[in-house]
Amino acid sequence: MISQIFGVVMLIYLLAAILFLMAELWASLRLQAAGRLMLWLGLGIHTGALLGRWVESYHLALVHSPPAGLAARLGLIIHHAPLSNFYDSLIFFAWCLPALGLLAFRRDLKGYLGALISVLSTLLLAYASLGGVDSRIKPLMPALKSNWLLIHVVTAFLGYAAFALAFGSAILYLLQERRPRPSLPPLPVLDRLIYRTTILGFLLLTLGIFTGAVWAETAWGRYWSWDPKETWSLITWLIYAALLHARLLKGWHGRRIAWLAVLGFMAVLFTYFGVSFLLTGLHSYLT
Amino acid sequence: MSTSRIHSKPKSWLWGTLTSIRLTVFLLLILAAVAIIGTVVPQNQPPDLYFSYYGEVWGQLLWRGGFTNIYFSPWFLAPILLLTANILACIVHGLPQAVKRVSRPFTGETALNLPERGRMTWPAGVNPQPLVQAALSRELGSCRRETLPNQEIYLAERGRFRPLGPYLMHVALLLILAGGLIGKFWGVNGQLALDQGKVASAFQVGPRTELPLHFQVRLDKFQVSYYEPGSAPKEFRSDLTFLLNGRQVLRATCRVNDPVSFGGLTFYQASYGTESTGPIRLKLQGENLNQSVEVPFRQPAELPGGRGRIIIMRVDGNFQGYGPAVLLAFSAGGGHPQAFWVLQNHPELGGRAGPYRFSVESIPYRYYSVFQVRYDPGVWWVYGGFLLFLPGLYLAFFRPAERWALVLAKSPEGEWQGRLLGASPRHREEFAAHQERLLMELQRGTPS
Repeated sequence: MISQIFGVVMLIYLLAAILFLMAELWASLRLQAAGRLMLWLGLGIHTGALLGRWVESYHLALVHSPPAGLAARLGLIIHHAPLSNFYDSLIFFAWCLPALGLLAFRRDLKGYLGALISVLSTLLLAYASLGGVDSRIKPLMPALKSNWLLIHVVTAFLGYAAFALAFGSAILYLLQERRPRPSLPPLPVLDRLIYRTTILGFLLLTLGIFTGAVWAETAWGRYWSWDPKETWSLITWLIYAALLHARLLKGWHGRRIAWLAVLGFMAVLFTYFGVSFLLTGLHSYLT
Repeated sequence: MSTSRIHSKPKSWLWGTLTSIRLTVFLLLILAAVAIIGTVVPQNQPPDLYFSYYGEVWGQLLWRGGFTNIYFSPWFLAPILLLTANILACIVHGLPQAVKRVSRPFTGETALNLPERGRMTWPAGVNPQPLVQAALSRELGSCRRETLPNQEIYLAERGRFRPLGPYLMHVALLLILAGGLIGKFWGVNGQLALDQGKVASAFQVGPRTELPLHFQVRLDKFQVSYYEPGSAPKEFRSDLTFLLNGRQVLRATCRVNDPVSFGGLTFYQASYGTESTGPIRLKLQGENLNQSVEVPFRQPAELPGGRGRIIIMRVDGNFQGYGPAVLLAFSAGGGHPQAFWVLQNHPELGGRAGPYRFSVESIPYRYYSVFQVRYDPGVWWVYGGFLLFLPGLYLAFFRPAERWALVLAKSPEGEWQGRLLGASPRHREEFAAHQERLLMELQRGTPS
């Protein structure tokens, strides 16, 4: 039932993307507003569906381990946030993009940028619903029963989403630089957007790595074990650290920063998909 | 960290290089590249694997070149060491200045040197001070007042501690690296495999190295539970008792994500297994055959009737939640052996091979549980680094530094004149936005 709602949300995001593109082609402010409204609508339903999945997962857990007392009940709720398998991560990533985009960009989220975000979310949801990904809610395996699960996954994926926004701005920057269009945001605005979203992503990725390390310490007794996911998140972190140093202290701007943001997002994608499918390790329950 | 080398006297080339940001960016990207190799080449495998997978030449190269344990080889450690030197040099180079800048108070005197951003005049009889106070507090959080001869100065400062942000972050990174080193050199990392009911007074720290415990630990019971038969495991649980000189001191339950600490060591539930404690009784059915046999663990046994032989390869105390089971390998004649599980409580799922049908009568078994045993004095350094990094990041990126002053002077005619002064070293946009709003609010009460 709920997975069908995600299908509807996917269509709404697709519609938002089309509206944004049409708004761009016909330079229509009204269509831009319509696109943004559509994105808000999709986000609202998406949020509701995520909460619904959370409730469903919690009720399933009640069958197996009825909690004794309020603390145990709270713990059970936290543990059963719908963030424990690959399907969950896809639909949560798809939620983070418009949520963070609408928050961070506000009215700058329009036209090609809005379309890009909407299309990315659409693709993630399409993959989740049509790509043969198992959408069943499964009981939690022992390694995932931790209060750190929620904060670790939320920070990590919000970080990915922020880097996706930086990537989107970087792509627009490179386009705009090659063939200037009056409808696109001017270069300095894009440059600033890349920088701001990168800072946000850097903060969130750092939090994701730290919480993951603390969790690993309580689960395995090692805060760092050079697991491929860990290593790739470090690689991603190093690339963005290089970007921030280059921009803040070497005065790099514009094209070179945009390319670094593109490179960083490639590392993000590999950290998320590549590691899960091509390499094995401690995070292998994600697939 | 330090913007450039301009401030430093023409010191040595070495110092210049060490404090250069170019080196930092270069090292960060090098580290990323080396780390990628480490995720592509499998790490810490036996050497044969590399030879068979990559061939003789490449295998040798990877093995001898340290690429098979890359994070502890010079390929990774040398850039890390250089980066540490780079960070240290930048801290030494820039921190004193930053501290000086932060500790220099923002006074009326210093404010007068800020560039002017706007002027306004209020008509005689209007006291603009409440308005000024309100506008500054609303826009910048808080402000204070200083009185100089003939002048009232309102001062507002934001992000005073911003210059310390980057240094906090980098000191935090050094703490994390130090924690890693401390753990490597002074930490203990071992394994303890414990049979149910047995007491241990030592644990393994290497292939043939044991370290004594200064206490004893007993595994009272190990349990593995499943959500449902055939589904995912729900819990691995070891009930432990710690003893000092034979006296019980602590009973505790160790689970995944729920380690137990005792006597300075922490025990983590890492793995488990089942082993047999005696011969297994199987029931054989077939053509004119219905008899029990006792089969010792992991020893080939001819079957009655002479139509094949079996080996019991594994026993499991709770096979996928279906209860005790054995893994049999059956071979007849020269054919390929076939392996299958036989479940004690589910004879209907039972195995057939050749003319035989197998079921289990009894499996004498015992669980053992494997613990990761750790003592890591570096963890608190690492966590300290985490805790320091975050406020550093907040100060560095989310607290734009700005200084504002509004200087009020009364003309001989009795009208107040105001001059808005302000500066921000790096955050032009936020500054411009504040300037626009401040000027708008301040000029609201003036006639012009």
